[in-house]
Amino acid sequence: MAGKSRFSASDRFEYLQGLVTEFQDTDSEDSKEQVLANLANFAYDPSNMEALRLLQVTELFLDMLTEENENFVEFGIGGLCNLSMERESRDQILQSGGVPLVISCLSSNRDETVLSAITTLMNLTTAASRAETTDSAVVQCMLRFSLTQNPRLRNLASVFLQDYCTQQQVDKAQEEMQGQSQSALGIPLPKD
Amino acid sequence: MTELVQLFALYGVIEEYRALDEYPAEQFTEVYLFQFQKLTSARVAKRHTDEKSFFGGQLHVCYAPEYETVEETRQKLQDRRRYVNRASQNTAKQHDRQLEESTESSSTDTQTAATPEIQKGSEKARIENVDSDDMGFPVLPLPSVENVSYGLHGFAQPLQLQWTTDIRLPTTEDKMGSLHNATPPVTETSKQCTSSASYKKERDLSERRKNLSPFLRFMPRTTHLESRKRKLEGQALFLNETAETETLIGPKLPELPKVDMEDHSLNVTANLIRQTMCKVTAVAEVKPVQGKTPTAKPRRRI
Repeated sequence: MAGKSRFSASDRFEYLQGLVTEFQDTDSEDSKEQVLANLANFAYDPSNMEALRLLQVTELFLDMLTEENENFVEFGIGGLCNLSMERESRDQILQSGGVPLVISCLSSNRDETVLSAITTLMNLTTAASRAETTDSAVVQCMLRFSLTQNPRLRNLASVFLQDYCTQQQVDKAQEEMQGQSQSALGIPLPKD
Repeated sequence: MTELVQLFALYGVIEEYRALDEYPAEQFTEVYLFQFQKLTSARVAKRHTDEKSFFGGQLHVCYAPEYETVEETRQKLQDRRRYVNRASQNTAKQHDRQLEESTESSSTDTQTAATPEIQKGSEKARIENVDSDDMGFPVLPLPSVENVSYGLHGFAQPLQLQWTTDIRLPTTEDKMGSLHNATPPVTETSKQCTSSASYKKERDLSERRKNLSPFLRFMPRTTHLESRKRKLEGQALFLNETAETETLIGPKLPELPKVDMEDHSLNVTANLIRQTMCKVTAVAEVKPVQGKTPTAKPRRRI
Protein backbone atom coordinates (compact mmCIF):
# COMPACT_ATOMS: atom_id res chain seq x y z
CA MET A 1 0.00 0.00 0.00
CA ALA A 2 1.05 3.58 -0.24
CA GLY A 3 3.66 4.03 2.46
CA LYS A 4 2.43 7.05 4.29
CA SER A 5 5.81 7.61 5.86
CA ARG A 6 7.54 7.89 2.53
CA PHE A 7 5.67 10.82 1.09
CA SER A 8 4.62 13.87 2.98
CA ALA A 9 1.32 15.56 2.35
CA SER A 10 2.96 18.32 0.39
CA ASP A 11 4.82 15.83 -1.80
CA ARG A 12 1.58 14.11 -2.62
CA PHE A 13 -0.10 17.40 -3.25
CA GLU A 14 2.62 18.54 -5.61
CA TYR A 15 2.61 15.31 -7.51
CA LEU A 16 -1.14 15.27 -7.93
CA GLN A 17 -1.10 18.93 -8.82
CA GLY A 18 1.36 18.07 -11.56
CA LEU A 19 -1.03 15.48 -12.89
CA VAL A 20 -3.93 17.91 -12.92
CA THR A 21 -1.81 20.46 -14.71
CA GLU A 22 -0.81 17.92 -17.29
CA PHE A 23 -4.43 17.03 -17.87
CA GLN A 24 -5.29 20.67 -18.40
CA ASP A 25 -2.32 21.46 -20.61
CA THR A 26 -2.07 18.46 -22.91
CA ASP A 27 -3.94 18.37 -26.19
CA SER A 28 -3.53 14.65 -26.71
CA GLU A 29 -6.69 12.71 -26.01
CA ASP A 30 -4.65 9.64 -25.14
CA SER A 31 -2.59 11.52 -22.60
CA LYS A 32 -5.71 12.91 -21.02
CA GLU A 33 -7.11 9.40 -20.76
CA GLN A 34 -3.94 8.15 -19.16
CA VAL A 35 -3.78 10.99 -16.65
CA LEU A 36 -7.45 10.66 -15.85
CA ALA A 37 -7.07 6.95 -15.24
CA ASN A 38 -4.11 7.67 -12.98
CA LEU A 39 -6.06 10.24 -11.01
CA ALA A 40 -8.99 7.88 -10.63
CA ASN A 41 -6.61 5.20 -9.38
CA PHE A 42 -4.97 7.55 -6.94
CA ALA A 43 -8.40 8.42 -5.63
CA TYR A 44 -8.58 4.88 -4.26
CA ASP A 45 -5.99 5.68 -1.61
CA PRO A 46 -7.46 7.61 1.32
CA SER A 47 -4.21 9.47 1.91
CA ASN A 48 -4.65 11.19 -1.44
CA MET A 49 -8.25 12.19 -1.01
CA GLU A 50 -7.65 15.45 0.76
CA ALA A 51 -5.20 16.65 -1.87
CA LEU A 52 -7.56 15.66 -4.64
CA ARG A 53 -10.35 17.54 -2.95
CA LEU A 54 -8.21 20.65 -2.59
CA LEU A 55 -7.22 20.40 -6.23
CA GLN A 56 -10.91 20.22 -7.14
CA VAL A 57 -10.46 16.93 -8.87
CA THR A 58 -14.04 16.07 -7.87
CA GLU A 59 -15.14 18.84 -10.23
CA LEU A 60 -12.85 17.46 -12.88
CA PHE A 61 -14.36 14.00 -12.55
CA LEU A 62 -17.88 15.44 -12.66
CA ASP A 63 -17.04 17.35 -15.83
CA MET A 64 -15.94 14.12 -17.45
CA LEU A 65 -19.38 12.58 -17.07
CA THR A 66 -20.82 14.65 -19.89
CA GLU A 67 -17.98 13.97 -22.30
CA GLU A 68 -18.39 12.17 -25.61
CA ASN A 69 -15.37 10.00 -24.97
CA GLU A 70 -16.64 6.92 -23.17
CA ASN A 71 -13.29 6.33 -21.53
CA PHE A 72 -13.45 9.78 -19.99
CA VAL A 73 -16.84 8.95 -18.57
CA GLU A 74 -15.74 5.56 -17.29
CA PHE A 75 -12.64 6.90 -15.56
CA GLY A 76 -14.49 9.94 -14.29
CA ILE A 77 -17.23 7.94 -12.63
CA GLY A 78 -14.60 5.50 -11.41
CA GLY A 79 -12.78 8.31 -9.69
CA LEU A 80 -16.00 9.59 -8.17
CA CYS A 81 -16.81 6.10 -6.96
CA ASN A 82 -13.51 6.02 -5.14
CA LEU A 83 -13.71 9.51 -3.73
CA SER A 84 -17.33 9.29 -2.65
CA MET A 85 -16.40 6.62 -0.11
CA GLU A 86 -15.07 9.40 2.05
CA ARG A 87 -17.45 11.78 3.77
CA GLU A 88 -15.85 15.09 2.94
CA SER A 89 -15.45 14.24 -0.72
CA ARG A 90 -18.98 12.91 -0.79
CA ASP A 91 -20.25 16.23 0.48
CA GLN A 92 -18.24 18.10 -2.08
CA ILE A 93 -19.79 16.01 -4.86
CA LEU A 94 -23.27 16.62 -3.46
CA GLN A 95 -22.67 20.33 -3.19
CA SER A 96 -21.55 20.45 -6.80
CA GLY A 97 -24.87 18.99 -7.90
CA GLY A 98 -23.33 15.67 -8.82
CA VAL A 99 -26.35 13.41 -8.33
CA PRO A 100 -28.10 14.03 -11.68
CA LEU A 101 -24.80 13.54 -13.51
CA VAL A 102 -24.17 10.22 -11.75
CA ILE A 103 -27.72 9.08 -12.46
CA SER A 104 -27.18 9.75 -16.15
CA CYS A 105 -24.32 7.23 -16.07
CA LEU A 106 -26.79 4.48 -15.23
CA SER A 107 -27.85 4.39 -18.85
CA SER A 108 -24.34 3.94 -20.22
CA ASN A 109 -23.71 0.91 -22.38
CA ARG A 110 -20.47 0.28 -20.53
CA ASP A 111 -20.79 -2.15 -17.66
CA GLU A 112 -17.99 -0.62 -15.67
CA THR A 113 -19.53 2.84 -15.92
CA VAL A 114 -22.90 1.60 -14.70
CA LEU A 115 -21.34 -0.38 -11.86
CA SER A 116 -19.37 2.64 -10.69
CA ALA A 117 -22.47 4.79 -10.94
CA ILE A 118 -24.54 2.47 -8.75
CA THR A 119 -21.85 2.34 -6.10
CA THR A 120 -21.41 6.11 -6.25
CA LEU A 121 -25.14 6.66 -5.82
CA MET A 122 -25.07 4.46 -2.75
CA ASN A 123 -22.26 6.52 -1.31
CA LEU A 124 -24.02 9.76 -2.12
CA THR A 125 -27.22 8.77 -0.35
CA THR A 126 -27.69 10.83 2.77
CA ALA A 127 -30.79 11.93 4.63
CA ALA A 128 -30.79 15.10 2.58
CA SER A 129 -30.07 13.58 -0.80
CA ARG A 130 -32.16 10.42 -0.46
CA ALA A 131 -35.13 11.83 -2.34
CA GLU A 132 -32.91 12.56 -5.29
CA THR A 133 -30.79 9.40 -5.29
CA THR A 134 -33.77 7.07 -4.83
CA ASP A 135 -36.03 8.85 -7.23
CA SER A 136 -38.61 6.49 -8.73
CA ALA A 137 -36.87 6.45 -12.09
CA VAL A 138 -33.70 5.31 -10.35
CA VAL A 139 -35.56 2.63 -8.41
CA GLN A 140 -37.13 1.32 -11.60
CA CYS A 141 -33.71 1.22 -13.18
CA MET A 142 -32.34 -0.75 -10.26
CA LEU A 143 -35.26 -3.16 -10.42
CA ARG A 144 -34.44 -3.87 -14.02
CA PHE A 145 -30.78 -4.33 -13.19
CA SER A 146 -31.67 -6.77 -10.43
CA LEU A 147 -33.11 -9.05 -13.10
CA THR A 148 -30.14 -9.09 -15.47
CA GLN A 149 -27.77 -11.93 -16.22
CA ASN A 150 -24.75 -9.92 -15.17
CA PRO A 151 -24.04 -11.03 -11.60
CA ARG A 152 -22.13 -7.93 -10.59
CA LEU A 153 -24.88 -5.66 -11.80
CA ARG A 154 -27.49 -7.85 -10.18
CA ASN A 155 -25.66 -7.83 -6.85
CA LEU A 156 -25.11 -4.11 -6.70
CA ALA A 157 -28.66 -3.32 -7.76
CA SER A 158 -29.98 -5.72 -5.13
CA VAL A 159 -27.93 -4.09 -2.41
CA PHE A 160 -29.20 -0.71 -3.55
CA LEU A 161 -32.81 -1.79 -3.45
CA GLN A 162 -32.50 -3.61 -0.14
CA ASP A 163 -30.40 -1.09 1.76
CA TYR A 164 -31.23 2.28 0.26
CA CYS A 165 -34.88 2.05 -0.74
CA THR A 166 -37.99 1.53 1.31
CA GLN A 167 -40.41 -1.26 0.52
CA GLN A 168 -42.99 1.33 -0.57
CA GLN A 169 -40.54 2.81 -3.05
CA VAL A 170 -39.84 -0.61 -4.52
CA ASP A 171 -43.55 -1.52 -4.68
CA LYS A 172 -44.41 1.76 -6.33
CA ALA A 173 -41.69 1.32 -8.92
CA GLN A 174 -42.87 -2.22 -9.63
CA GLU A 175 -46.40 -0.99 -10.23
CA GLU A 176 -45.16 1.67 -12.60
CA MET A 177 -43.22 -0.93 -14.50
CA GLN A 178 -46.27 -3.14 -15.04
CA GLY A 179 -47.17 -1.35 -18.20
CA GLN A 180 -43.62 -1.29 -19.51
CA SER A 181 -41.41 -4.03 -20.84
CA GLN A 182 -39.87 -6.17 -18.09
CA SER A 183 -36.89 -7.00 -20.25
CA ALA A 184 -33.50 -5.94 -19.07
CA LEU A 185 -32.42 -5.14 -22.59
CA GLY A 186 -32.80 -1.70 -24.04
CA ILE A 187 -33.01 0.14 -20.78
CA PRO A 188 -34.57 3.49 -21.52
CA LEU A 189 -33.18 6.66 -20.04
CA PRO A 190 -34.45 7.53 -16.58
CA LYS A 191 -37.58 9.62 -16.80
CA ASP A 192 -37.55 12.96 -15.09
CA MET B 1 -4.25 -28.97 -8.38
CA THR B 2 -2.99 -29.78 -4.91
CA GLU B 3 0.14 -27.77 -5.61
CA LEU B 4 -2.03 -24.80 -6.46
CA VAL B 5 -3.95 -25.17 -3.24
CA GLN B 6 -0.73 -25.43 -1.30
CA LEU B 7 0.53 -22.30 -2.97
CA PHE B 8 -2.54 -20.23 -2.21
CA ALA B 9 -2.92 -21.60 1.27
CA LEU B 10 0.26 -19.73 2.09
CA TYR B 11 -1.64 -16.48 1.93
CA GLY B 12 -4.57 -17.25 4.16
CA VAL B 13 -7.43 -19.51 5.00
CA ILE B 14 -9.24 -20.73 1.93
CA GLU B 15 -12.98 -21.14 2.32
CA GLU B 16 -13.52 -23.01 -0.88
CA TYR B 17 -11.99 -23.75 -4.22
CA ARG B 18 -13.16 -25.41 -7.37
CA ALA B 19 -12.40 -25.78 -11.02
CA LEU B 20 -14.35 -23.52 -13.34
CA ASP B 21 -15.21 -25.37 -16.49
CA GLU B 22 -17.57 -22.72 -17.75
CA TYR B 23 -15.04 -19.92 -17.63
CA PRO B 24 -13.97 -18.70 -21.08
CA ALA B 25 -10.31 -19.60 -21.31
CA GLU B 26 -7.62 -20.23 -23.85
CA GLN B 27 -6.48 -23.61 -25.01
CA PHE B 28 -4.39 -25.54 -22.52
CA THR B 29 -5.60 -23.26 -19.75
CA GLU B 30 -7.31 -24.47 -16.62
CA VAL B 31 -9.28 -22.04 -14.54
CA TYR B 32 -9.87 -22.35 -10.83
CA LEU B 33 -11.75 -20.31 -8.32
CA PHE B 34 -10.31 -19.75 -4.89
CA GLN B 35 -12.31 -18.08 -2.18
CA PHE B 36 -10.41 -16.78 0.80
CA GLN B 37 -11.92 -16.17 4.18
CA LYS B 38 -10.36 -12.75 4.30
CA LEU B 39 -10.24 -10.15 1.61
CA THR B 40 -6.74 -9.16 2.61
CA SER B 41 -5.53 -12.69 1.95
CA ALA B 42 -6.97 -12.57 -1.54
CA ARG B 43 -5.23 -9.31 -2.18
CA VAL B 44 -1.86 -10.48 -1.01
CA ALA B 45 -2.22 -13.76 -2.85
CA LYS B 46 -2.98 -12.03 -6.11
CA ARG B 47 -0.08 -9.68 -5.74
CA HIS B 48 2.32 -12.51 -5.16
CA THR B 49 1.08 -15.04 -7.66
CA ASP B 50 -0.14 -13.11 -10.66
CA GLU B 51 2.12 -13.53 -13.69
CA LYS B 52 4.40 -15.87 -11.82
CA SER B 53 5.62 -19.06 -13.37
CA PHE B 54 4.23 -22.27 -12.02
CA PHE B 55 5.45 -25.73 -12.97
CA GLY B 56 6.46 -24.69 -16.43
CA GLY B 57 3.45 -22.58 -17.12
CA GLN B 58 2.28 -19.18 -16.07
CA LEU B 59 -0.35 -18.16 -13.57
CA HIS B 60 -2.84 -15.43 -14.30
CA VAL B 61 -4.66 -14.34 -11.22
CA CYS B 62 -7.50 -11.89 -11.13
CA TYR B 63 -10.36 -11.01 -8.85
CA ALA B 64 -13.74 -12.53 -9.53
CA PRO B 65 -16.48 -10.28 -8.22
CA GLU B 66 -18.99 -12.07 -10.39
CA TYR B 67 -18.83 -14.99 -7.98
CA GLU B 68 -19.78 -12.94 -4.98
CA THR B 69 -23.08 -13.28 -3.24
CA VAL B 70 -25.22 -10.22 -2.55
CA GLU B 71 -24.27 -10.38 1.08
CA GLU B 72 -20.58 -10.53 0.27
CA THR B 73 -20.90 -7.48 -1.95
CA ARG B 74 -22.76 -5.62 0.75
CA GLN B 75 -20.16 -6.52 3.34
CA LYS B 76 -17.34 -5.52 1.05
CA LEU B 77 -18.81 -2.08 0.47
CA GLN B 78 -19.47 -1.49 4.15
CA ASP B 79 -15.97 -2.53 5.13
CA ARG B 80 -14.49 -0.32 2.47
CA ARG B 81 -16.44 2.73 3.55
CA ARG B 82 -15.52 2.17 7.17
CA TYR B 83 -11.89 1.75 6.31
CA VAL B 84 -11.73 4.87 4.16
CA ASN B 85 -13.29 7.07 6.77
CA ARG B 86 -11.03 5.74 9.47
CA ALA B 87 -7.98 6.11 7.26
CA SER B 88 -8.82 9.65 6.28
CA GLN B 89 -9.13 10.58 9.94
CA ASN B 90 -5.63 9.24 10.48
CA THR B 91 -4.37 11.15 7.49
CA ALA B 92 -5.89 14.34 8.86
CA LYS B 93 -4.09 13.77 12.16
CA GLN B 94 -0.86 13.15 10.30
CA HIS B 95 -1.25 16.37 8.42
CA ASP B 96 -1.69 18.24 11.65
CA ARG B 97 1.46 16.70 12.97
CA GLN B 98 3.37 17.50 9.80
CA LEU B 99 2.09 21.03 9.93
CA GLU B 100 3.33 21.40 13.47
CA GLU B 101 6.71 20.06 12.48
CA SER B 102 7.00 22.37 9.53
CA THR B 103 6.00 25.33 11.68
CA GLU B 104 8.79 24.49 14.11
CA SER B 105 11.44 24.00 11.47
CA SER B 106 10.57 27.12 9.56
CA SER B 107 10.82 29.22 12.69
CA THR B 108 14.39 28.09 13.12
CA ASP B 109 15.20 28.93 9.53
CA THR B 110 16.01 32.43 8.47
CA GLN B 111 12.66 32.69 6.73
CA THR B 112 10.62 35.38 8.32
CA ALA B 113 7.31 34.80 6.58
CA ALA B 114 4.74 33.03 8.68
CA THR B 115 3.82 29.55 7.60
CA PRO B 116 0.39 29.77 6.06
CA GLU B 117 -2.11 27.60 7.80
CA ILE B 118 -3.94 25.09 5.79
CA GLN B 119 -7.56 25.39 6.75
CA LYS B 120 -7.89 22.44 8.99
CA GLY B 121 -11.21 23.34 10.48
CA SER B 122 -13.29 22.04 7.66
CA GLU B 123 -10.77 19.40 6.74
CA LYS B 124 -10.91 17.49 9.99
CA ALA B 125 -12.99 14.45 9.39
CA ARG B 126 -16.12 14.37 11.38
CA ILE B 127 -15.92 11.64 13.92
CA GLU B 128 -19.20 9.86 13.74
CA ASN B 129 -20.28 6.53 14.99
CA VAL B 130 -17.77 4.33 13.36
CA ASP B 131 -18.05 0.65 13.89
CA SER B 132 -15.62 -0.24 16.60
CA ASP B 133 -14.62 -3.67 15.45
CA ASP B 134 -11.22 -3.17 14.01
CA MET B 135 -10.65 -5.29 10.97
CA GLY B 136 -7.01 -4.68 11.54
CA PHE B 137 -6.14 -4.61 7.89
CA PRO B 138 -4.63 -1.71 6.10
CA VAL B 139 -5.74 -2.97 2.76
CA LEU B 140 -8.85 -2.20 0.89
CA PRO B 141 -11.83 -4.31 0.07
CA LEU B 142 -11.84 -6.54 -2.90
CA PRO B 143 -13.81 -9.63 -3.53
CA SER B 144 -12.38 -12.52 -1.62
CA VAL B 145 -12.75 -14.76 -4.60
CA GLU B 146 -10.11 -15.17 -7.18
CA ASN B 147 -9.82 -16.73 -10.55
CA VAL B 148 -6.67 -18.60 -11.16
CA SER B 149 -5.98 -19.56 -14.69
CA TYR B 150 -3.01 -21.73 -15.25
CA GLY B 151 -2.03 -21.97 -18.83
CA LEU B 152 0.88 -23.33 -20.71
CA HIS B 153 0.49 -20.54 -23.16
CA GLY B 154 0.63 -17.11 -21.71
CA PHE B 155 -1.82 -14.70 -23.16
CA ALA B 156 -1.26 -11.02 -23.44
CA GLN B 157 -3.32 -8.99 -21.08
CA PRO B 158 -4.74 -5.90 -22.67
CA LEU B 159 -2.68 -2.94 -21.63
CA GLN B 160 -5.74 -0.82 -21.07
CA LEU B 161 -6.29 0.09 -17.50
CA GLN B 162 -9.14 -2.02 -16.32
CA TRP B 163 -11.30 -1.88 -13.28
CA THR B 164 -11.43 -5.37 -11.95
CA THR B 165 -14.23 -4.99 -9.48
CA ASP B 166 -17.20 -2.80 -8.94
CA ILE B 167 -15.15 -0.96 -6.41
CA ARG B 168 -12.77 1.08 -8.42
CA LEU B 169 -9.52 -0.69 -7.86
CA PRO B 170 -6.19 0.58 -8.84
CA THR B 171 -5.71 -1.92 -11.60
CA THR B 172 -1.99 -2.10 -11.48
CA GLU B 173 -2.63 -1.68 -7.85
CA ASP B 174 0.88 -1.55 -6.61
CA LYS B 175 2.26 0.29 -9.54
CA MET B 176 -0.32 2.98 -9.74
CA GLY B 177 -2.34 3.13 -6.62
CA SER B 178 0.58 3.27 -4.28
CA LEU B 179 2.78 6.25 -4.45
CA HIS B 180 5.76 4.40 -3.12
CA ASN B 181 6.35 3.02 -6.54
CA ALA B 182 5.86 6.25 -8.34
CA THR B 183 8.65 8.78 -8.39
CA PRO B 184 7.40 12.29 -7.95
CA PRO B 185 8.31 14.05 -11.13
CA VAL B 186 10.87 16.51 -9.90
CA THR B 187 10.99 18.13 -13.30
CA GLU B 188 7.39 19.15 -13.08
CA THR B 189 7.70 21.24 -9.98
CA SER B 190 8.35 24.29 -12.10
CA LYS B 191 4.94 24.10 -13.71
CA GLN B 192 2.38 26.35 -12.19
CA CYS B 193 -1.17 25.26 -11.89
CA THR B 194 -3.81 27.81 -12.75
CA SER B 195 -4.84 27.88 -9.16
CA SER B 196 -7.99 29.22 -7.73
CA ALA B 197 -8.00 31.06 -4.48
CA SER B 198 -9.09 27.98 -2.62
CA TYR B 199 -5.82 26.17 -2.81
CA LYS B 200 -3.48 29.11 -3.26
CA LYS B 201 -2.31 28.85 0.32
CA GLU B 202 -1.26 25.28 -0.15
CA ARG B 203 0.73 26.30 -3.16
CA ASP B 204 2.68 28.85 -1.12
CA LEU B 205 3.57 26.23 1.37
CA SER B 206 4.53 23.75 -1.28
CA GLU B 207 6.63 26.35 -3.08
CA ARG B 208 8.57 27.04 0.05
CA ARG B 209 9.08 23.35 0.38
CA LYS B 210 10.28 23.34 -3.19
CA ASN B 211 12.96 25.84 -2.32
CA LEU B 212 14.22 23.51 0.33
CA SER B 213 14.16 21.44 -2.77
CA PRO B 214 13.78 17.83 -3.69
CA PHE B 215 17.11 18.31 -5.42
CA LEU B 216 18.92 18.74 -2.16
CA ARG B 217 17.11 15.82 -0.69
CA PHE B 218 18.49 13.48 -3.26
CA MET B 219 22.05 14.70 -3.17
CA PRO B 220 24.51 12.12 -1.96
CA ARG B 221 25.69 12.81 1.53
CA THR B 222 29.33 13.14 0.57
CA THR B 223 28.56 15.93 -1.87
CA HIS B 224 26.63 17.66 0.84
CA LEU B 225 29.52 17.36 3.25
CA GLU B 226 32.00 18.60 0.72
CA SER B 227 29.93 21.61 -0.23
CA ARG B 228 29.58 22.45 3.43
CA LYS B 229 33.31 22.07 3.87
CA ARG B 230 33.95 24.47 1.01
CA LYS B 231 31.57 27.01 2.49
CA LEU B 232 33.34 26.83 5.82
CA GLU B 233 36.71 27.23 4.14
CA GLY B 234 35.42 30.29 2.35
CA GLN B 235 34.11 31.82 5.54
CA ALA B 236 37.27 31.10 7.47
CA LEU B 237 39.35 32.80 4.82
CA PHE B 238 37.09 35.82 4.86
CA LEU B 239 37.42 36.12 8.62
CA ASN B 240 41.18 35.95 8.48
CA GLU B 241 41.34 38.76 5.97
CA THR B 242 39.24 41.19 7.97
CA ALA B 243 41.21 40.47 11.13
CA GLU B 244 44.35 41.54 9.39
CA THR B 245 43.10 44.70 7.72
CA GLU B 246 40.94 46.40 10.37
CA THR B 247 40.19 46.44 14.03
CA LEU B 248 36.69 45.33 14.83
CA ILE B 249 34.50 47.97 16.34
CA GLY B 250 31.10 47.31 17.81
CA PRO B 251 29.39 44.26 19.22
CA LYS B 252 31.26 41.09 18.62
CA LEU B 253 29.69 38.99 15.91
CA PRO B 254 28.79 35.42 16.77
CA GLU B 255 31.75 33.17 16.27
CA LEU B 256 31.62 31.02 13.24
CA PRO B 257 32.83 27.53 13.74
CA LYS B 258 36.53 27.65 12.99
CA VAL B 259 37.90 24.82 10.99
CA ASP B 260 41.56 24.19 11.29
CA MET B 261 42.50 23.94 7.66
CA GLU B 262 45.86 22.54 8.60
CA ASP B 263 44.22 19.62 10.31
CA HIS B 264 45.36 16.45 8.71
CA SER B 265 42.04 14.72 9.27
CA LEU B 266 40.60 16.73 6.41
CA ASN B 267 42.91 15.04 3.99
CA VAL B 268 42.53 11.48 5.13
CA THR B 269 40.29 10.41 2.30
CA ALA B 270 42.31 12.27 -0.27
CA ASN B 271 45.53 10.69 0.89
CA LEU B 272 44.00 7.27 0.93
CA ILE B 273 42.90 7.66 -2.63
CA ARG B 274 46.26 9.00 -3.69
CA GLN B 275 47.99 6.07 -2.06
CA THR B 276 45.73 3.64 -3.80
CA MET B 277 46.31 5.34 -7.09
CA CYS B 278 50.06 5.11 -6.59
CA LYS B 279 49.78 1.43 -5.83
CA VAL B 280 47.64 0.87 -8.86
CA THR B 281 49.98 2.72 -11.16
CA ALA B 282 52.99 0.98 -9.66
CA VAL B 283 51.55 -2.50 -10.12
CA ALA B 284 49.81 -2.28 -13.46
CA GLU B 285 52.04 -0.27 -15.71
CA VAL B 286 50.63 -1.92 -18.79
CA LYS B 287 47.21 -0.43 -18.30
CA PRO B 288 46.94 3.29 -18.91
CA VAL B 289 46.19 5.10 -15.72
CA GLN B 290 42.71 6.47 -15.81
CA GLY B 291 42.80 9.85 -14.30
CA LYS B 292 40.32 9.79 -11.53
CA THR B 293 40.93 13.08 -9.88
CA PRO B 294 40.70 12.50 -6.19
CA THR B 295 38.44 14.52 -3.92
CA ALA B 296 37.77 18.19 -4.25
CA LYS B 297 35.37 17.73 -7.16
CA PRO B 298 31.86 16.84 -6.15
CA ARG B 299 30.80 13.42 -7.19
CA ARG B 300 28.19 13.26 -9.84
CA ARG B 301 24.71 12.92 -8.53
CA ILE B 302 23.24 9.56 -9.18
